[in-house]
Amino acid sequence: MLKINNLHNKVETQDGEEKAILKGLSLDVPAGEVHAIMGPNGSGKSTLSYVLTGRDGYDVTDGEMAFLGEELGELEPEERAAKGLYLSFQYPVEIPGVPTITFLKEALNAQRTARGEEEMPAPEFMKFIREQAKALGVSMDMLKRPVNVGFSGGEKKRMEILQALILQPKFLILDETDSGLDIDALKTVAEGVNTLRSEDRGMLVITHYQRLLDYIKPDVVHVMANGRIVKSGGPELAHELEAEGYDKFIGEAA
Amino acid sequence: MGAITHTPAEKTLIDLLDGAEDWRAAARDAVVRFGLPTKRAEAWKWSDLRRASQGIETAGQARFLINGETAADRLTVSEDAALELVAEPGISVASLEIDVPAGARVVLKERYKLADGAFPTARLEISLGEGAVLERVVLGDTPQDSIPVVRTRIRVSKQSHYRQIALTFGSKLTRNETHITHAGEGAEVEIGGVYLLEEGRHADFTSTVSHTGPGGVTHQLVKGAAAAQAQGVFQGKFKVEQAAQQTDAKMTHRALMLDDRAEIDAKPELEIYADDVQCAHGNALGAIDETALFYMRQRGLSEVKARAMLIESFLAEPLDMISDDVLRDELAAILRQRLGAIG
Repeated sequence: MLKINNLHNKVETQDGEEKAILKGLSLDVPAGEVHAIMGPNGSGKSTLSYVLTGRDGYDVTDGEMAFLGEELGELEPEERAAKGLYLSFQYPVEIPGVPTITFLKEALNAQRTARGEEEMPAPEFMKFIREQAKALGVSMDMLKRPVNVGFSGGEKKRMEILQALILQPKFLILDETDSGLDIDALKTVAEGVNTLRSEDRGMLVITHYQRLLDYIKPDVVHVMANGRIVKSGGPELAHELEAEGYDKFIGEAA
Repeated sequence: MGAITHTPAEKTLIDLLDGAEDWRAAARDAVVRFGLPTKRAEAWKWSDLRRASQGIETAGQARFLINGETAADRLTVSEDAALELVAEPGISVASLEIDVPAGARVVLKERYKLADGAFPTARLEISLGEGAVLERVVLGDTPQDSIPVVRTRIRVSKQSHYRQIALTFGSKLTRNETHITHAGEGAEVEIGGVYLLEEGRHADFTSTVSHTGPGGVTHQLVKGAAAAQAQGVFQGKFKVEQAAQQTDAKMTHRALMLDDRAEIDAKPELEIYADDVQCAHGNALGAIDETALFYMRQRGLSEVKARAMLIESFLAEPLDMISDDVLRDELAAILRQRLGAIG
């Protein structure tokens, strides 16, 4: 479903110099599978999420990334979103003045229009969002507030998952979804993610800690270091990392 | 000062005002002696009227209409009304005095209907009686090739409430002056302003609020956005006389530069002679939040749509001051439509 081959990129640092972050990353996530990427800070995990979703300044310098057989590199972020690529942000952005409900309605209809589908009628949308919000314990009052403004870290992450439930993407990238969550919030968010698991949907779970993977069970775990995948294995690899640390893998990458 | 060489626009204006009385005579005298204001005059340093008026050489006609009828020079308005400034091409002058009687509650909808090449100088004097409430909602949707210069003086009596909300899209040069004498003693003033300037447009909000009596409340919020080669000007001044103790006045101007080549000039000023007052001013310039833009695009919104939503959410705040929902929605819709064009 998502095929990444020998991916390279560079970003501009604050002193205006170019720095290579991804250095030949390869990864293949078939439909129906959940893959986890674990790695130390600075290994390029968040960069990978931005390269995949097309953020400005995160252009590919070499290699390929194909989603459902189509090369992503030349597509705008909104085109990738309409094709079904969804990023749950590590730091969800506050948008003052734009009510969450308006934002989601506009986003959903923009995606549907881009795919040549009909817009969702307003009453149907309201029913849909009410059901999904209830399941996640999000009140309608919160949905009327501006996007993420004044929300706690946990509420923001819950909103990211709610947005995914509304937009129903084909592929989710969860970037450090567990950061800033207490154990109860983590369970709620994980339940939301698990309801999205299905035969025709893939997921990439980026995390620093193994904790999240107790609740979102991955099919495959990859270890990332120095801009590459240095080891892949089953769920047991996460426990191995937790017990032994990243050091021996970083050694392998150097 | 030596004699100046008048531009064709100045010559036309001098001829137009030949033999005039009162303020027109004073205006003519000023043009004879100094010409139209240029950037060398402190109050006009970001709005060079002499330069903008180049190419306009003929006299035109301007007049005020009240509820569709030509207005007399002086009116009493005690119920909701529609005021229009209509100007043909060329240089013109118009004047109107409005009395809002004690205790009256009035919403005044004001519109500018200007032809291409119109350069009207309009003078509006508004006087609020004790306890009167006036809400003035101004829409400046003017053609690029026009130069509206509108100077409004407002006398706010004690216990009265004056609220002004202006939405402008600018033009070659737009000067919107508001000068308020604020009696305090239960009187309140609210000034809201929004400017959205497409490429090559200019708009200037210049205002003074002079607090002359005790306990006056003033709240000013102006927000703007300017595209490439556009220029937004905000000059706000609060003056608090010694008699105006316990004045509570707050001035805020915030603007978005939509392009590196946009220009925003701001001069907030406080001039305070009383010692027991609360006065504050804030001024901030920024650019669109690129992180928010990416976030919205990642959710599927086009760049144009995401940008428009961000600018709208930033600009719309002063429109919330409009008390009438229908009127507020009307202005918000006009703003949204213009945002669609700015991309």
